[in-house]
Amino acid sequence: MTSTSPEIPTAGSVDPPISVETPRRSLLVQLITGMLSFLIIAVPSTLSGLFFLDPILRKRKAASDDTADGEVPRKDEAGFVRLDVTKEAVPQDGTPLSVTVIDDHVDAWNMFRDVPVGSIWLRKVGDGPILAFNSICPHLGCSVDYIREENEFYCPCHASAFALDGKKMNDIPPRDLDVLEVSMRTHGQQDANGHEIWVKFQNFQRATSDKIVI
Amino acid sequence: MIALINWLETRTGVKALMHEAFNERVPGGARWRYVWGSTLVFTFVLQMITGFMLWSAYSPSTRTAWESVYHIQHEMFLGNIIRGLHHYAAQGMVVLMAIHLIQVIIDGAYKAPREVNFWLGIVLMMIVLGLSLTGYLLPWDQKGYYATQVTTNIMCATPVVGREVQVLAQGGSDYGHLTLTRFFAMHAGILPTLLVGFLVLHIYVFRRHGLTVHDPKRAPDTTFWPDQVLKDSVACLAVLAVVLLLAMFRAPELSAPADPAVKFDAARPEWYFLFLFRFLKFHAVESLGVTFGAIIVPGIIMGIIAAMPITAKVLGNFGHTLNRAFIWALALGVVVLTLMAFYEDANNAEHQAALTEAHRDGQRAIELSIGPDKIPVEGAVTLLREDPFTHGPRLFAQHCSSCHRFNGHDGRGSLVTEAGKTDEAPSVIAAPTAADLGGFGNRQWMTAIVMDYSNHFAWMKNSTWFRDAQAKNAAGGTVDYINPDSSEMADWTSGNLDALQSAENADNVKALVEFLAAETGHAGTTYDAALVEKGRDLAIKGSWAGALNGTSCASCHDTIGQDFPTQPDDSTASSYPTLAKYASLAWLKDFIRHPDAARHYGAKNQMVVYSPQKLSDKNLDLLVRWLTHDYTPSTVPDYANQLDVLNAALAPSSSVAVEAAPKK
Repeated sequence: MTSTSPEIPTAGSVDPPISVETPRRSLLVQLITGMLSFLIIAVPSTLSGLFFLDPILRKRKAASDDTADGEVPRKDEAGFVRLDVTKEAVPQDGTPLSVTVIDDHVDAWNMFRDVPVGSIWLRKVGDGPILAFNSICPHLGCSVDYIREENEFYCPCHASAFALDGKKMNDIPPRDLDVLEVSMRTHGQQDANGHEIWVKFQNFQRATSDKIVI
Repeated sequence: MIALINWLETRTGVKALMHEAFNERVPGGARWRYVWGSTLVFTFVLQMITGFMLWSAYSPSTRTAWESVYHIQHEMFLGNIIRGLHHYAAQGMVVLMAIHLIQVIIDGAYKAPREVNFWLGIVLMMIVLGLSLTGYLLPWDQKGYYATQVTTNIMCATPVVGREVQVLAQGGSDYGHLTLTRFFAMHAGILPTLLVGFLVLHIYVFRRHGLTVHDPKRAPDTTFWPDQVLKDSVACLAVLAVVLLLAMFRAPELSAPADPAVKFDAARPEWYFLFLFRFLKFHAVESLGVTFGAIIVPGIIMGIIAAMPITAKVLGNFGHTLNRAFIWALALGVVVLTLMAFYEDANNAEHQAALTEAHRDGQRAIELSIGPDKIPVEGAVTLLREDPFTHGPRLFAQHCSSCHRFNGHDGRGSLVTEAGKTDEAPSVIAAPTAADLGGFGNRQWMTAIVMDYSNHFAWMKNSTWFRDAQAKNAAGGTVDYINPDSSEMADWTSGNLDALQSAENADNVKALVEFLAAETGHAGTTYDAALVEKGRDLAIKGSWAGALNGTSCASCHDTIGQDFPTQPDDSTASSYPTLAKYASLAWLKDFIRHPDAARHYGAKNQMVVYSPQKLSDKNLDLLVRWLTHDYTPSTVPDYANQLDVLNAALAPSSSVAVEAAPKK
């Protein structure tokens, strides 16, 4: 159905000659046109690209805690979090105990108060100090189980194995289990004989031999 | 480079494609009037780019939509720019589309053989309008929520299938999570895909027929590249500059989080739908029903536009003239209706007050969300629901403003009016019949009580009970009523005014006021501790200078300086109002619940008793915390003080009794 209307010719059917410009002017026009066309797409694309890089480019603001007056806060300024269990709950015979860490959690625009933020293994040998391990496998981030029969920590994803002191037992994980700082306290005050267990809960980058805080 | 292009060419035909795309003939030379189609394509590309970015941070649910948009705009890097670009480019697209449509009709570009392309264009226009409609709801703010409610309710007015269409759009019988997921799927998935499809067809058919050129001899023919592309890209750059500047200097508004329980009196559609909004408000249109005004009339208009190619074919040149006349008339109508809507809104005090409140709520929601507590899991809507600064004014307007005022207004910024004296007379500004609580409990308030008691409570003299009591007593009756002009306190103030104003007591008055204001415990003010202690001595021991020495507040108000009791009772009440923590949160709560208690003003107090049935504990708490400033401090501009306007309106020439306005 080409050119059914006599008054309006359709393009492409006939091709009268096109005026030829001087090459220099044409080149200049082409250059400017090219630049402008690039610009109108480049500006929004660049802005958008920077927006997309927000997780890298933006500094996060500190969030508040909601401790009532007179109450010992659950978390101190150094980042130690009080666990719900006390020294007595950790088995004397060296069997590890899995404990959930409760803390405030900021997720983008939301503040979740006192929610589980992670899980750790606690272990005590005799009257010795309490050890705390982050239960996340340093290999690729699955969670490490305690296997009673083997008396070792074992990751079901890729068979990483760790001794009860956290030392790696095969070459699958790049480093030992991540040890967390522990502080024994009474009413939040440092006390070697205290019963409260405070742990500096941190997560570390996976798949590297170095222990790097995330 | 050339080898690479040749390699590609033999395998893909890219060179031929580029040649095809860029070497389109432009008969009569490149012209500015051909740029509109290109600017529309550009705006759409801009919407795709910014839209994908917003998508990467948007979360469609009733508990996260507002929150994620807030996060984009106020927390994320360049988020305000990206949202601003998307917001303004959407409006630009509607404007450009209108220009494009008008031009196509004026130039007769819809006529044979381009009818199909004209119809494709109309389909594209519908899709773009659908995109703006669905996009307006996504931030889930009051503005979008209530405006879209109107649209979905209009859908409901569609004959036969209306209710089903509405339920389908909403994803249920009411608004909820699914409304957002469905609107989002439409906005970001279905409609853009359709738009791309129809746009490809539109451009393909356009290329097939070429430009509609009136004057091919005007200049030598040229090609699309570079001459026309240059003009197109300059036009696109102008569009980009406009939306970018708007985004930078006029951030798009995010009003308060949608709350079905909170009225939104400022609801309006996006400005380019205002003409339809205004059209629906004509009495003649209203009386014919929503279906007629919002569905049948727009349907007929779209039908006439779609039939334009046929009109022109059947009626020839006369048809084309008819079509041109129609589109001009329509454009004129739209412009006039839009201007009318703007003009009427600008001159509508109620709408302006509603807008002020909408801005105040929106800014407050953002201010609370920015705070270190962030947003609770229940959503930002709860931040406002539990905020005295937001709900105190509303409760004041609802419960208190029939007698009291707050800085001259009803708490929400509006003057209180009452019906005129006759049915035809316009409504007039009503005189307050109780104290103005704008500065309740602050230093000025306390100063007025000590130095200017009668005048401070003069508003009461406008009340009916006051006049009735005066009339009865004048006729020899013995009505016991609160009289600001004649009471022990009024007499003390007026009787001791010289002593209070004397130089030797200037510091003492200051100290007493400081003490009284500090006793209220209102947040946001710091008090001079030494002055407060001095004031306490004055209040309790009466350590004044000169003749006043020995007259203490405590000699009548025996509980002054004490804590307000948690379980107040009247077993030890003197016949004087208690000033134990006068104007504090606890005092005010008790006063509102029991204004007639002996510990306050007793049975002669005409104030309405607000029982929990009338004002719930939660609302009492919000109201009182607002009046005592017990809320997260705000930098949001508050309602303007209207005392001057009120005083001017009640000036002697007006119909309202004036002797009862406090003197300046």
